[in-house]
Amino acid sequence: MTESAPLAVELRGITKRFPGVVANKDIELRVARGEVHAIVGENGAGKSTLMKTLYGMHRPDEGQILLGGREVVFKSPADAIAAGVGMVHQHFMLADNLTVLENVVLGAEKLHGIGGDARRRIVEISDAYALGLEPDTLVEDLGVGDRQRVEIAKVLYRGATTLILDEPTAVLVPQEVDELFGNLAELKREGLTVIFISHKLDEVRKVADAITVIRRGTTVGTADPRTTTAKQLAEMMVGAELPTPETRTSTVRETPVLQLRGVTVAGPGTRPAVDDVTLTVREGEVVGIAGVEGNGQAELVDAVMGLRPLAAGTIVLGADDITSWTTRTRRERGIGFIPEDRHRQGMLLDAPLWENRVLGHQTEAPNAKGLFIDRKAARADTERIMREYDVRAPGPDTLAVALSGGNQQKLIVGREMSAGPRLLIAAHPTRGVDVGAQSVIWELLKDARAEGMGIVLISADLDELIGLSDTLQVMLRGSVVATLDPQAVTPEQLGGYMTGAVTSPAGSVQ
Amino acid sequence: MSALRRTGQALLAPALAVVIALVISAAVMAAIGVDPARAFSVMVDFGDTPSQQVTAIVVVLNRAVPLFLAGLAVAVAFRMGLFNIGVEGQYRMATVVAAGVGASVSLPGPLHVLLIIVVAMGVAAIWAGIVGVLKVTRGVSEVISSIMLNFIALGLASFLLTGPLRGSEPGASIVTTTEIPESGWFPSLNGLLGALGLANPPRQLYGFLLVAVVVGVAVAVLLKRTRFGFDLRATGLSASAASASGVDAKRMVITTMLISGAVAGLIGLPDLLGSDHSYGTQFTSGLGFLGIAIALLGRNSPLGIAVAAVLFAFLDRASVPLQIASIPSSVVTIIQGTIVLAVVIANEIARRIARRQAESGSAVAPPAAGDGSSPEPGSTPPTGPALTNATGSAGRTEPTGSAQ
Repeated sequence: MTESAPLAVELRGITKRFPGVVANKDIELRVARGEVHAIVGENGAGKSTLMKTLYGMHRPDEGQILLGGREVVFKSPADAIAAGVGMVHQHFMLADNLTVLENVVLGAEKLHGIGGDARRRIVEISDAYALGLEPDTLVEDLGVGDRQRVEIAKVLYRGATTLILDEPTAVLVPQEVDELFGNLAELKREGLTVIFISHKLDEVRKVADAITVIRRGTTVGTADPRTTTAKQLAEMMVGAELPTPETRTSTVRETPVLQLRGVTVAGPGTRPAVDDVTLTVREGEVVGIAGVEGNGQAELVDAVMGLRPLAAGTIVLGADDITSWTTRTRRERGIGFIPEDRHRQGMLLDAPLWENRVLGHQTEAPNAKGLFIDRKAARADTERIMREYDVRAPGPDTLAVALSGGNQQKLIVGREMSAGPRLLIAAHPTRGVDVGAQSVIWELLKDARAEGMGIVLISADLDELIGLSDTLQVMLRGSVVATLDPQAVTPEQLGGYMTGAVTSPAGSVQ
Repeated sequence: MSALRRTGQALLAPALAVVIALVISAAVMAAIGVDPARAFSVMVDFGDTPSQQVTAIVVVLNRAVPLFLAGLAVAVAFRMGLFNIGVEGQYRMATVVAAGVGASVSLPGPLHVLLIIVVAMGVAAIWAGIVGVLKVTRGVSEVISSIMLNFIALGLASFLLTGPLRGSEPGASIVTTTEIPESGWFPSLNGLLGALGLANPPRQLYGFLLVAVVVGVAVAVLLKRTRFGFDLRATGLSASAASASGVDAKRMVITTMLISGAVAGLIGLPDLLGSDHSYGTQFTSGLGFLGIAIALLGRNSPLGIAVAAVLFAFLDRASVPLQIASIPSSVVTIIQGTIVLAVVIANEIARRIARRQAESGSAVAPPAAGDGSSPEPGSTPPTGPALTNATGSAGRTEPTGSAQ
């Protein structure tokens, strides 16, 4: 670190306190111009607080921010943008019913107007960084990868020379991740600086030129991605060894827990969203559902949970035909549910944790006493879950919104496991959670499987799918197109099946 | 202690809003040439003799009872995210039918009153239920259908009053239903005033006050302590999360509308059973719309609604003395309007602050042992969220001003 050129971004001794908590303490960060600098750390380690500081969303209590060697003070994100710092958020902030051009220009009309100049500038940016954007396409017609490139274009359009990318790969499939990394290489080549937040360590090692590790609010060190292994990085992050998702000894029993027979769910158009799906989940078996998002997995989950009517087919739980059962009956009779989008389906963000512990189990012990909610018992049981599942929060009366994603997810997993379900529907159980929480959740799923629980696992993380599943079912356009043995398939092969590039069932176990 | 601070924080925003509203109202009064100080002094002047003062209090309470019930009816639906704008029509229909039924039967005292209450609740519940059924089966917005049903209800009530249920002589200037026999009157609480050593005023303190208290407690228990109430509030906080948790959204909509309507059916009864004993063209109107304002002001909690109802009743009482002092009584309407506006704004600001505090508290997990073991109980710092519970959760379910 002895370059003569001034650093693009330097943070010195940044400390940020919130009432009762020190979110960041003595953060030191040195990012050279034209490099991709990764910041890794568990969720809740203070990465977001730090990036909010750098992006002007709040001001640090102590410490200095230096851009290009000069100290700056940001009062708002507008100041940060003016100084050339831009942020691509994890959750896209795009208006679906506007075009790419309109989305990019929105809020920055003063720069190049909204007409021909703006269009020219966008095309220039798109060409210069190989973003491949068409200004007149509606955003709603774009895939996830393209939307992300629109977000990047928005930031570049506003003249950013330093880009902060917050967990950019969380929503992408492997092929899209590679494209993104290609884009980042272009940005780097043009001399832009990229700060890349992630906890996917393999990706970080692939794309970053330098890595800074944050743990419990402070920087614990920097690492060279060429000489550091993912395992070493993980140990720096959590201070403990990282388990793998692998479960190799089969615990599959004979008795089926869930049988889907010809399950069909109507889609928005003429094509059904789920098309004649037949599959069986046995006791102690993890059935992984692989597929590019939007190929019917979400609708299949809804159908099993009773949230969406079937157009045809039957669903059998144990020995009961549950096709006509309500969601509540299904849950009471032993289906646990970890939803894909925990904010939409799994939590009441503005309610305290103990009410979130009750959610989904309103009629079950210890939450209910006759027609009443047993508030005392529910609170006590929330404390037990927080203890046993390592949910880090001040107490059962804390609002759910105050918890990090990983801690919210651990609460949901603990809640669903506490009811002792026969069948668990786990949709993206480790999405957006940190390495620590991820390994806890993996262990819980493995234990549950060993005890004879049947698990349907939907995931976009192919390593997770391959590592945890006993059987893999690939969904494409609503149908199951391949049944694979996870021991005989690589992520690349699986990706081929998911996109429809490969159709011959090479690794089939049918 | 945390409960105390929580209550304090929950009350701070509305209290501040009321003060701001009074300041704005004072400015408006000054602008139209009324001396605000004199207006306020007239409003708080309850009279000189003990009898006058007790009478004033009785007037305020009698007015507060129906307002409280109206606020409650609106709030039950609000807590689920349903905007029952049709409370007005529901209570008018309920009152005219209950008055007709009450006048046409003769039963022993308590039974007679009970029958009238049950009829009123039933009629209003059915009327509100129509809104629920339309929403569930045809996807009609409850805002639209309940407003439309108001007009039908008012028309239908006029028809019943002038047609089948007419009791007054043809040609009388005020059309009313037949008077309910005395067995169907609700006894007043003036005996209680006497027992408390207060002067017995010429006005009757409505015995229905007790019913309102019971209903208020029942609604509070229903919302806060029961499984049903949990489902209802969960639906209000996040409909998608509630249905994933097993709440049957359609049944919930209908049940909630029925309950909201049943409470709305009670609104007209304090006046009907306590003083008027018949429904007529002069019967108190507009209570359903005031109920929306009161539910907003009381942040949809029964206790808050009680406070709001007393405040509005107090302001209403002032309109007569103001006129006597030759000050326009619309001063009262101005104050009421600005209070509602100020409270809506204050609640929204409080909600945002609470939310921001909660979110910034999440910026870092409490210091925990690196090996993943759970933190010691004492080591977790008290962050804002727990304290902002009341503001956060209550504020979320509130309708925006556009609902009116």
